[in-house]
Amino acid sequence: MLHLLLDLDPPTFFNGDNGSPALILKIVLAFLVGIGLIFALMAAPLRLRRFIVVAVTFLSGLYYFLLWFFPAPISRGPTDAPNGPLESFSFLIADAVPSVVNVSNILSAVLIGLGIYSLLRIHLGRIVKQQKDWAFSLVLVVSLFTVAFFGYWDWIIRQGPTGGSLGAVPNDKWSFPLYAKDFFFEGFLQQMDSAMFSLIAFYILSAAYRAFRARSVEATILLLSALIVILASMGLIQSNWDNTIDATHIGFLKNIRLEDMRTWLNGTMQAASIRGLDFGVGVGLLAMALRLWLSLEPLGRES
Amino acid sequence: MSDTVAPKSFGDKLQSLPRTWLFLILLLAASVPLFVPIALPNAPSQSSEDFFANVMSLKAGDKVLVASDWTKSTRGESGGECEALLRMLIRKKIKIAMYSSGDPQAPQVFRDTIGEIAKDELDHGEAPYQQFQDYVVCGYFPNAEGTALGINNNLRGVFAGKKDSPPNGSPQDIFNSPVFQGVNSVSDFKYLIMITASNTERVTFERVKKTPLMFMVTGVMTPEDNVYYLSGQLKGLIGGVKGVFDLEQMMEKGLNVPGGVSAPRFGPVPGFPGKHNVGRGTSYYFALHACLALLILAIFAGNLGVWLSRRGARS
Repeated sequence: MLHLLLDLDPPTFFNGDNGSPALILKIVLAFLVGIGLIFALMAAPLRLRRFIVVAVTFLSGLYYFLLWFFPAPISRGPTDAPNGPLESFSFLIADAVPSVVNVSNILSAVLIGLGIYSLLRIHLGRIVKQQKDWAFSLVLVVSLFTVAFFGYWDWIIRQGPTGGSLGAVPNDKWSFPLYAKDFFFEGFLQQMDSAMFSLIAFYILSAAYRAFRARSVEATILLLSALIVILASMGLIQSNWDNTIDATHIGFLKNIRLEDMRTWLNGTMQAASIRGLDFGVGVGLLAMALRLWLSLEPLGRES
Repeated sequence: MSDTVAPKSFGDKLQSLPRTWLFLILLLAASVPLFVPIALPNAPSQSSEDFFANVMSLKAGDKVLVASDWTKSTRGESGGECEALLRMLIRKKIKIAMYSSGDPQAPQVFRDTIGEIAKDELDHGEAPYQQFQDYVVCGYFPNAEGTALGINNNLRGVFAGKKDSPPNGSPQDIFNSPVFQGVNSVSDFKYLIMITASNTERVTFERVKKTPLMFMVTGVMTPEDNVYYLSGQLKGLIGGVKGVFDLEQMMEKGLNVPGGVSAPRFGPVPGFPGKHNVGRGTSYYFALHACLALLILAIFAGNLGVWLSRRGARS
């Protein structure tokens, strides 16, 4: 295996032992350097900034392009050495996957942090200026910090020497921070998540009642198809209907067994339609990806 | 000009039923059946049968990779799916490596769920199923696309540095866990089973090719994923509450055994008769019936109203 900077063993300046203070210090320093680079980029002349953005976008896309299209090593053993420069290059692309994945995960995680920063900027401003509905902003900010505080307290305890014996469900080994985290996470956040999602059922019923009207031939076909699929999902109706038909021993009636009609609708009509849609979306995405990769999008040029 | 408003006809009233009443009836339809335990008949779908038969074909000590990308917002469906799957895997002594790339809350939700199910199974006479020894939580990976690609190409590289806690000790590298012994590639897992309520299922089957995939998705996602089941890319598919009920029914009765579900494509696949198989699927199936019946009635009422109004206008 070729070793990239992040994978070097024993650790060098560029990596460190998992969880070690040295690694944490390096992460903090790298984060600060990253922020510094962002500010430096913002201060750079427009032409230079555009060049950097286009170059980084192209190189990032090029890696994935090569990963898909460059011949990959086949049946490669852990001690195999590359045979020639082409194979050496294919080994390099394959070996870079974990590092690229780490970088992409870190970038996505930074986006979460950016979201929190943006949220705080808006809501703290609203609280300070006591704008309309500032009390809701206060609830949001207090909730954010409370859940994060108890979440980290729980996490630190679980990283300790008795972390493994604490268990996932409440028991007599749990202390206040663990109960508090469970109360806020399971008792509040998850229940509210659940309640919000449940509201969709009410809107589905309301929308179906108002929109599902047989006003044209197409709407009637759609309505009947939906009715068959819904009825076939109801075991009580489906089994009674199908058993009644089976009991008649009339061959023609077998065509209107609910399960068979549902299977035909799903497997023939619906699957074919979805495949068609997916092909269309796929081609569109390919075109969009090319435009983004080559920075042909107007926003890319303007930035 | 007269300023009196003509009274609404019956057809017009049927087309504009008050939303408050509709919502109230829905509330009753969704909640009352939860307190009325009724055994409803059901014919499991082919995709559910495949899923069940494949999981039951696993042997003690086999390893599966579970991608758990759900939170409690979809617990009615995803929670039931996860619980039924975990009961099967725990009883068959299968080792689990779990990761998530869909939601930062998902690993904690999975930890809580497997903790509850493992305790319940222990209380019902099963062997202890312990963190680190039998299952590891590899954590959350924010970039789903890159993670799926990395899992396919270099699993150990992607999971390197992750820690989890053994039953009586501080966190250790997950590669020291028995779950990862002999695992060098994703192909060393018998299946990648994904429980998801988001588009991570699409991201995964576009990139993970080295091990068979099985999905547990929500009801609205089932038609989209059914396309990939029909093409053979998925080895099994559980969709929504109906899928969970299918699974729980087969866990109780088995496939092609006396008194069990008949599926000529398989040999006899015994379930876990007499064990604690009843879960959210069985509990919610009647409520699903009531809600779907209400949906049909509401649509019928609206269309009847249109028809009556048109007839009234013609006459």
